[in-house]
Amino acid sequence: MTDRTAVVLLLGVALALAPATIDAGTYRSVDEQGNVTYSDRPPQPEETRAPAPEATPVPEVKAPDAKPAPGAKARNVKVSAPPTAIARTGSTKVDELLELSGARAQLVGLLSRLAAELRPAPGQMSAKDQASVDRILRQALRHEAVYALVRDAFLLHVDRTNLEATAAWLRSPLARKIVALEIASSEPGTEQKVATYAATIKTSPPTDRRVELLQRLDWATAATEISADLVAAASRGITMAVSAAGPAEQQLRPGQIEDRVAQVRARANRALREAHMASTLYAYRGLEDEELAAYVLFSASDAGRWYNSAMRKAMVGALGRAVEQTAAELVRAVPLDRWARAATLAPQPVK
Amino acid sequence: MTTQAMRALASAIALMLCTALGAAAQERPAPAAPSSDLDRAQAAFQAGRHAEALASARRAADAAPTSVRALTARAGMAEFMGEFDEAQTFYDRAAGLAPDDADTIYRTASFTARVGEYDRALTQLDRLLALHPRHVRWLFQWAPTRFQAALLRDHPSLERIVQIKLDILTEKGDLEQARRLARAYAIVQPGQNYCAQARERAGAERDEVFKAFRLASLGQPDAADCIWWYGQWLSDEGYVRLGRLMVIEGSRATASAENKESGARYVRIRLGGNREVPKRAEQLFVIARQRYLRDGDINGASRLFDESIRLAPAFARPYNYRAMIAADLGDREGAMAWLQRALRADPDSWRTHRNLGRLFETLERYPEAEMHLRKTVQLFGDDAGGRLALARVLYAQGKYDDFAKEARAAVAFLANWRAPMPEVRDFLAKFDRWGPGAALPPAPDPHVIMGWNYD
Repeated sequence: MTDRTAVVLLLGVALALAPATIDAGTYRSVDEQGNVTYSDRPPQPEETRAPAPEATPVPEVKAPDAKPAPGAKARNVKVSAPPTAIARTGSTKVDELLELSGARAQLVGLLSRLAAELRPAPGQMSAKDQASVDRILRQALRHEAVYALVRDAFLLHVDRTNLEATAAWLRSPLARKIVALEIASSEPGTEQKVATYAATIKTSPPTDRRVELLQRLDWATAATEISADLVAAASRGITMAVSAAGPAEQQLRPGQIEDRVAQVRARANRALREAHMASTLYAYRGLEDEELAAYVLFSASDAGRWYNSAMRKAMVGALGRAVEQTAAELVRAVPLDRWARAATLAPQPVK
Repeated sequence: MTTQAMRALASAIALMLCTALGAAAQERPAPAAPSSDLDRAQAAFQAGRHAEALASARRAADAAPTSVRALTARAGMAEFMGEFDEAQTFYDRAAGLAPDDADTIYRTASFTARVGEYDRALTQLDRLLALHPRHVRWLFQWAPTRFQAALLRDHPSLERIVQIKLDILTEKGDLEQARRLARAYAIVQPGQNYCAQARERAGAERDEVFKAFRLASLGQPDAADCIWWYGQWLSDEGYVRLGRLMVIEGSRATASAENKESGARYVRIRLGGNREVPKRAEQLFVIARQRYLRDGDINGASRLFDESIRLAPAFARPYNYRAMIAADLGDREGAMAWLQRALRADPDSWRTHRNLGRLFETLERYPEAEMHLRKTVQLFGDDAGGRLALARVLYAQGKYDDFAKEARAAVAFLANWRAPMPEVRDFLAKFDRWGPGAALPPAPDPHVIMGWNYD
């Protein structure tokens, strides 16, 4: 576990930014009462709605608590139809917030993809090892378990005022449209579409205003930073597990692991920034500039910044823990040398 | 709102796990060919497996208690690992078996100088000199300087004697006598610009830099800046006693009142002021740091740090390293406690305030972080990394004007040191354009000024 691992981790991060090739998907559907279910089977057309509609008629929205943060400059952002707060009473549950924001739906998809990608292809491992891996993945990456970690971590950062303001924004038609677009862009196969779309940008470039709005959205939401944090958390979890399972003289001390994680994070951050524009242009192509501007405005508000900060901490903490536990169990069940053999048989990713 | 992150993570985890597991497994070393414990100790040492080397050396010495080679090997390994009592015991045993063995005497002298027992070391050096033929001793003591270079070249053990004596005289604070000795034995030559040579080697191997600066301090008494740099370089390396002497000497030699003031401040906030640090405590600290940073030996390093603290309770550095170990192990409260102890031991320790500030920042205890980071940059205004850390905690508290002021000051300072900090500039540009964003500003810690980077 010396420099080689750093190279491997770097490769991992670089590839993390490349289009995913696995098409294992999870489908989300909402019934007439607004209950959400997840399945690996595509829902019938009449049961599919994204995002989840309210069971009751949606009231007219008015402006949420989306005031810019102190010192924020609102220039270049014109909001033609500001979203408005919903006159809804009662406390908003964190579950509901995570549901409304699409985080829960995206977590399901993520875990499903993770499990599919971690599962060695047939023939790479013995049937017995393969069965062990399958069992661990089923257990360790259960949606409910990981979601509970995220929710519990999120709860630590709850600020009631900001939570209510965020929920009000998320219930607005515009926010629901945005969430639907984000969920759609997280579905399997999107990367291919982004690549195709990126090619069209060259001949038909976006307007300066569009680019500015998307840059500002990334600034306000720290989406790229969160991505880099998640990659770093995964890197940390895996490095710790692999280091602990390796020979004593090759084990890394915690500070060394952190140094490597910092390197991985820095590289991930650079690569994510490069990929950011094409993927967000694609993801939000269904939004008008004014709608995007409203999204930016909310994201730059106290509530928006609170939500992104809390979500960042919750996701990074929970997924980091889940990955570390999963990796530790996998190397306990299947010794490193057998993973090494499987890796040599794995198809090489395309860079 | 989390789409990009999710997508990135999905692939990252899979690729990292599969390939990291494979790579780690392939990195397992081939088993060493079996040989004697002494050979195994040597092989392990050369491979950087120092704990294993000491264990093998112990077995070798236990199995052959009358073998001088085995005993000195064990003593040497123990010395290297900071196990000074054990080293002393086995050097003594080896000396008892072979009282006239030059190598054993030299190594014993070197060890005793290392732990600050200078008179004992000088006695050993006298014994070493006495082993040489009468005419060699006569030449060594009476021949003019122009003959000494050739004499020392023909008799390397004589040069060893001189070099250890130079160290002892310097460490005892008698730099004038050390310089006279260096000139008398042609260790330094008149007219040589050792300072320029030292500066040329600034990025070279540690030993080369050390030797070059050392010659400058011995051969160019007027090279105030160079002597100053030597002191700062020694401080970074952990040699706080010699570092203090050199900084004081550099400050004395300079004509600049500003530099004199700067030197006095450096000694106060970086080297513990007048707090006495015995040589043994300093060396235990240096070795403990290596055992932790290089070997990852948490238990061994912790024990040596504790011993260093016992011998020098006002020495802030080992407390800071105990805090680092605790933080690395996830024990942030423990880390906090160690740093608080360090601050009680030395309230003006710039490094301790800095570490406390950064630790409070990771705990999101921003007001406390701000207090310590403000103190940090108050103690050392050129600490650009500390200033960027302060800017970050100001931003986290919504003190955006103060953030911008501190961040800009740090960036402007670093530009003079050819450290452009593009990520900080980029953040500031976006902040100016769009106001505060969700992410905290980056706070890199560039190591641009010698003497302030490591403890």
